[in-house]
Amino acid sequence: MTEKHLSTQFDAELSAISTRVLEMGGLAESQVAQAIYALVNFSSETASQVLQGEERVNQLEIEIDRDLSTIIARRQPTARDLRLLIAISKTIGNLERVGDEAARIGRTVQRLINSGVSSRMRLPVVDVSFEASLAIASLRKALDAFARLDAVKALEVIKDDNQIDREFDGLMRQLITYMMEDPRTISASIDLVFVAKAIERIGDHAKNLAEQIIYIVKGTDVRHNSLEHVESVVR
Amino acid sequence: MSSVATSQAAQHQAQRMRKHAARKRVNAIALVLALAAMSFGLFWLIWILIETVRLGLGGMSIALFTEMTPPPQAEIGGLSNAIFGSLLMVTLATLLGTPIGILAGIYLGEYGQKGWLGSVTRFINDILLSAPSIVIGLFIYAVVVAQVKSFSGFAGVLALALIVIPVVIRTTENMLSLIPNALREAAYALGTPKWKVISSITLKAARAGVITGILLALARIAGETAPLLFTALSNQFWTSDLRQPMASLPVTIFKFAMSPYENWQKLAWAGVFLITFGVLVLNILARVLFRNKS
Amino acid sequence: MDTRVDLPVGEKIKLSVRDLNFYYGAFHALKRINLDIPERKVTAFIGPSGCGKSTLLRTFNRMFELYPEQRAEGQILVDGENILESKHDVSLIRAKIGMVFQKPTPFPMSIYDNIAFGVKLFETLPRAEMDERVEWALKKAALWTEVKDKLGQSGSGLSGGQQQRLCIARGVAIKPEVLLLDEPCSALDPISTGKIEELITELKADYTVAIVTHNMQQAARCSDYTAYMYLGDLIEFGPTSELFMKPKKKDTEDYITGRFG
Repeated sequence: MTEKHLSTQFDAELSAISTRVLEMGGLAESQVAQAIYALVNFSSETASQVLQGEERVNQLEIEIDRDLSTIIARRQPTARDLRLLIAISKTIGNLERVGDEAARIGRTVQRLINSGVSSRMRLPVVDVSFEASLAIASLRKALDAFARLDAVKALEVIKDDNQIDREFDGLMRQLITYMMEDPRTISASIDLVFVAKAIERIGDHAKNLAEQIIYIVKGTDVRHNSLEHVESVVR
Repeated sequence: MSSVATSQAAQHQAQRMRKHAARKRVNAIALVLALAAMSFGLFWLIWILIETVRLGLGGMSIALFTEMTPPPQAEIGGLSNAIFGSLLMVTLATLLGTPIGILAGIYLGEYGQKGWLGSVTRFINDILLSAPSIVIGLFIYAVVVAQVKSFSGFAGVLALALIVIPVVIRTTENMLSLIPNALREAAYALGTPKWKVISSITLKAARAGVITGILLALARIAGETAPLLFTALSNQFWTSDLRQPMASLPVTIFKFAMSPYENWQKLAWAGVFLITFGVLVLNILARVLFRNKS
Repeated sequence: MDTRVDLPVGEKIKLSVRDLNFYYGAFHALKRINLDIPERKVTAFIGPSGCGKSTLLRTFNRMFELYPEQRAEGQILVDGENILESKHDVSLIRAKIGMVFQKPTPFPMSIYDNIAFGVKLFETLPRAEMDERVEWALKKAALWTEVKDKLGQSGSGLSGGQQQRLCIARGVAIKPEVLLLDEPCSALDPISTGKIEELITELKADYTVAIVTHNMQQAARCSDYTAYMYLGDLIEFGPTSELFMKPKKKDTEDYITGRFG
């Protein structure tokens, strides 16, 4: 939004709420990073930090929603402003769920540690970590695209999701093989499946975020559409 | 820091009080002067009214309305022929002048904003409005009385009508121009033709003001003496024939008041009282009407 | 500027403006306007002061002809006929295309006569039928219950909102096909405004409505189609929901989101 409204107050409000969304996004991102670190290093301490941090994410969602309602009630926004506010509403929902996934990973790590799993078992944790890095990069790119309302970058995020899905499929096959080789690892492997699934969902949330950005910029709702259609909208 | 601010505020306040006191003094002086001027004007007005009532009321009686103007030094007498003559001529002049005045006023107000005819008419009307009534009287004398070679009530009516017309034109045009254009547009928007907009909407809305104008014109001509001097002249006897010279209150008063005869002078004062009273009633009526309607 | 938009299938056009230019003396107030107004829908005109929206509305019923220095060139087609041609009697046009103004202007007569006035111009109705027509018009304007016991009273005794509804009833009584509303709620309080907006939504079942408003939210609430004008040009025209969610022109978006200069 390069031009200013007649009401500087309105500008300030929009700017403030966008900043808070980015703050929430950054927090969610670091939650995920911390959860993966806990997994890779089997750190119980880091895992509990993640669980504590979850509360702040949820609180941010409530606060931003409240600010959102106030702006809509007072300003009767239209067109671009309205689309921005509607998109923010959905975005913070997605970010809150990213926070939930991170917490879920944290709880899974604690369960693994409590059941005596350690780095002795040859669990493909590194591959999970790789999948996670893709998801985190996706999320960061999406937040970046939101900050600059860059539809082209958002399109990249949507494309990247395919790669995350493929990684997840590969991980699944790997874990199944692992379980078949050594049935003692089944319990831990299943936990890892949950983690991998959580990461895959984080990737999906990043994609949803990107779709919202395209809605803000282009005015078209591209959810549940083929990639070709989305490309044509952005170009 | 705050003590400096407080002393500054106190200084400011003191200055304000001084200026306020000075203003109040000026206010009081101006008020006194205004009241004095008003009292001065009122004084004379009240004195005139008192004298009128004092001198005129004594002459009031039934005979005033039933007896004709008497010869000098007669015992009985009244003003019946003068009263009747005035009523007749004033009424006819108003009936004659009002339609012309209203129609011309409508033309100026609704049709004549652009073009030369409107501005020329308005200009001539303004001149007529401020023309001395004696000039109008002389004009009718030259055009009617001298041609027919006799004074007549008819000529009197014409002269008075010529005074009524400019007044009615001016008030009608003014009252019409006060009506907001929005009202006219609302009527046009329904598909109303122009003449109907004027007659049914604009004129109706300006009704009170126009009628006031007519009443004021009436009040004015009721007291006009000069135009009647050269047209209707006067008549000692009762007549309702407009082709004859006709008595009227103003001319009769003129004649009687300047005479040395006491009975005539008494009658003159009675006549003054009647006219004053009549004009006063008309003015009050006009005011009441206007206030109600607006 | 050519901003003719393809109206959805099944949308009939009531009024077509073709290459309309309008002048106040030498001042070029409307610049080559091209526009179709759909039948039985509410079309709103928005734009900043001086953009020409009222001027445009007043060409539709040739109200500008009251003022000699104003003139229109071009075509305004109503049911195929160009109403700007002088061969069409202006009174008949105005009977077909009615107008309600910003300031409520009750005529100096009773409420009943106010309504009957326009009807009597074109129809001779026996008393009973006239009574019916007056009642019908007042009901259409949602005013009947409030005035049915005082039809003989003067119209100026009503409140502002009631007076405006009286003017609407007056306009509706002659059974026009198009109703032009020039900022009808500007002089009214919010409750009266709300009642009239409700009325507008009902009126469109029978009439084509064109409304000029400087209140964008009113346009967003009431209209099916919206036209945005600026300095005599028609910038954009389209369905209201689209124009307020995703306007095609940046100028339009700047105006409706409150970003000027």
